Amino acid sequence: MGTHALTIKRASAMPAPTWHFLKMNDTQIEIPEGLAVAPSVKVSEPWRARGAADEFDNALADAQEEWEKLHPEPTPQEREELEAFTRAEADATYGGTAQSNYQIGADALEEARSLAVAFEHGVGEEAAAYLRFAAGERVVVQTDPGQSVEAQVVVSAVPDALSVAAIDVVAGRNSSVSLSIVVDSPDVPASAGASGFAGTTVRVFADADARVSIVRTQTLDLGFTDIDDMGLFAHDRARIDVRQTVLGAGSTFTGLAGDLRGDSANIVVDTRYLGHADQEHDFNYVLRHHGTRTECNLGANGVLAGKSSKTLRGTIDLIRGAKGAQGSENETVLLVDEGVKNKTVPVILCNEDDVAGNHGATIGHIREEQLLYLQSRGLSKDDAERMFVGAMIEQAAIDAPDEESRAGVLRLGETVIPGFAELFEEEA
Amino acid sequence: MTSNILLACHGLSAVVDEKPILHEIDLEIPQGEVHVLMGPNGAGKSTFGHVLMGDPVYEVTAGDISFDGEDVTELAPDKRSRAGLFLSFQAPVEIPGVPLRSFLRAIMEGRGEKMKNKEFRKKLQALAETLDMDPAYLDRELGVGFSGGEKKKVEMMQLLLLQPKLAILDETDSGLDVDALSVVSRGMELYRGTCDGTLLIITHNTRILEHLNVDRVHVMVQGRVVAEGSADLIAEIDANGFERYEAQLDA
Repeated sequence: MGTHALTIKRASAMPAPTWHFLKMNDTQIEIPEGLAVAPSVKVSEPWRARGAADEFDNALADAQEEWEKLHPEPTPQEREELEAFTRAEADATYGGTAQSNYQIGADALEEARSLAVAFEHGVGEEAAAYLRFAAGERVVVQTDPGQSVEAQVVVSAVPDALSVAAIDVVAGRNSSVSLSIVVDSPDVPASAGASGFAGTTVRVFADADARVSIVRTQTLDLGFTDIDDMGLFAHDRARIDVRQTVLGAGSTFTGLAGDLRGDSANIVVDTRYLGHADQEHDFNYVLRHHGTRTECNLGANGVLAGKSSKTLRGTIDLIRGAKGAQGSENETVLLVDEGVKNKTVPVILCNEDDVAGNHGATIGHIREEQLLYLQSRGLSKDDAERMFVGAMIEQAAIDAPDEESRAGVLRLGETVIPGFAELFEEEA
Repeated sequence: MTSNILLACHGLSAVVDEKPILHEIDLEIPQGEVHVLMGPNGAGKSTFGHVLMGDPVYEVTAGDISFDGEDVTELAPDKRSRAGLFLSFQAPVEIPGVPLRSFLRAIMEGRGEKMKNKEFRKKLQALAETLDMDPAYLDRELGVGFSGGEKKKVEMMQLLLLQPKLAILDETDSGLDVDALSVVSRGMELYRGTCDGTLLIITHNTRILEHLNVDRVHVMVQGRVVAEGSADLIAEIDANGFERYEAQLDA
């Protein structure tokens, strides 16, 4: 029995929407009819790190208890004082103000005082639920306090099928987890024109002082669609690093949401993407700062060639109480061909005085001084821009965390630039 | 004898943002020679190097540049490069997203030199050793996080890889410690030795010239070539500076 056709509307939605006519507030994911659900996930992890299915929920419940002790519910009097203060501030600044739907929703979320309710998936709950359903059994990587673990999940997509992995990472106090996720379509002949669906949905709980590093490398053939969903929770002083390399698939949906709940928690996201042919990439990032002195850094670096298109929404939400928090987002997009489309939406939401939010985007062609340098070495403007396409794939091969990731990059590189794999023949 | 003149500028004047910056420069460099362009800070030496390379920031308002028998005054920088001109930048740019190895391969392929990958890797490895450079730099993004010395080594690596007919080295010695300076000197010697290269060294520091047989020295002050002479000029400038040339121009 195959899948039923399904349209997931308002996937990867920005928390605070902008003008609807810009058509960038969210996206839509079409799941075609008749895809087989394929068991094409290989897990490689030390047996001692295999956790129970409810590990993540239990960890979040424990964190909820701790959090409630540290953040007791305000008394009716305190609540009244806070509301009066907020009203007075709004009156003084704007002569009174109406709340947007977003603000009303955000206030309700904070009032719910539930870590589980606040936990988000980057592509949205509906898409994440679909991926969970398609994945079946969940892969749970769990570490005890002080432990260090490396794990790998390989999703080998096959034609006419839905190949999905659901992964939970539950890193105990002061422990360390390195997870490599490989999403590739290794057995599809380049000429086959095969289509299919692949994806991963990942939940991360990083307890106090834990370090979690996730590297996801996606090198699917162009006939495939990829959904990369992540939801992160960072406790006190936890650090979560995510590197997403998006090279393949005709359509990609990458969504990451993070709750920096603990004081001094830190989330760093490094996204690298290549758009070529008719590829369509959609990225959505939502980082919510709750803890004091929390830090996040969203960095994206991409090259768009051919008739490819890309939308990136990056929202940093500095919530009341996150004193000393710092959020930063930066994107560099090189537009190689005239036919490409790029949309970049950096958003900083702020409801706290003592914070810093920065954003920047560099979009366009090679900078003049870089171009002169490259020209002075004999490269024309076209040669120079082409070089960036190859360099993006080459850098991915150099930085690949394991053989499977690298093999995927070389395989995909060969389809984009004939002879590419030969460049790495000594290491391959 | 003019048949072996590789580079010749005649009456070359240039402006930047309509401000005159080079004035009627006449300068000739025969093939295989080492020339030095000296002058105080702000004399226009680096500008001259950039104008020779065809930097579009500068506009040539008079005169011409001929290179290897052809008028290149109107030629784009990439075409000048492919004709055999090379400019080593005083401050090489950083190019995030491009591993050094990819860049080096692209510039070789840009001039039609397809090399088998193994052969190319071997060549880069050997060059890295010659220049006392950690081969790990080859996999790093071009210039990103490189020290000043490493950046200059990368310039030398390109010089040795491309083997241009004429290399203009713009303040290649600036900001280098003794070790890095000796590596740069070694690079220059190797370039001269392997392809009978021609050098125009732009500097205001005479130390880098100690190991070179300099054929001719040109002195530039306020965008004008005010003196020319043999290598003896270097010692004279080292002892007395540029004051007399500046005074001569002001007079």
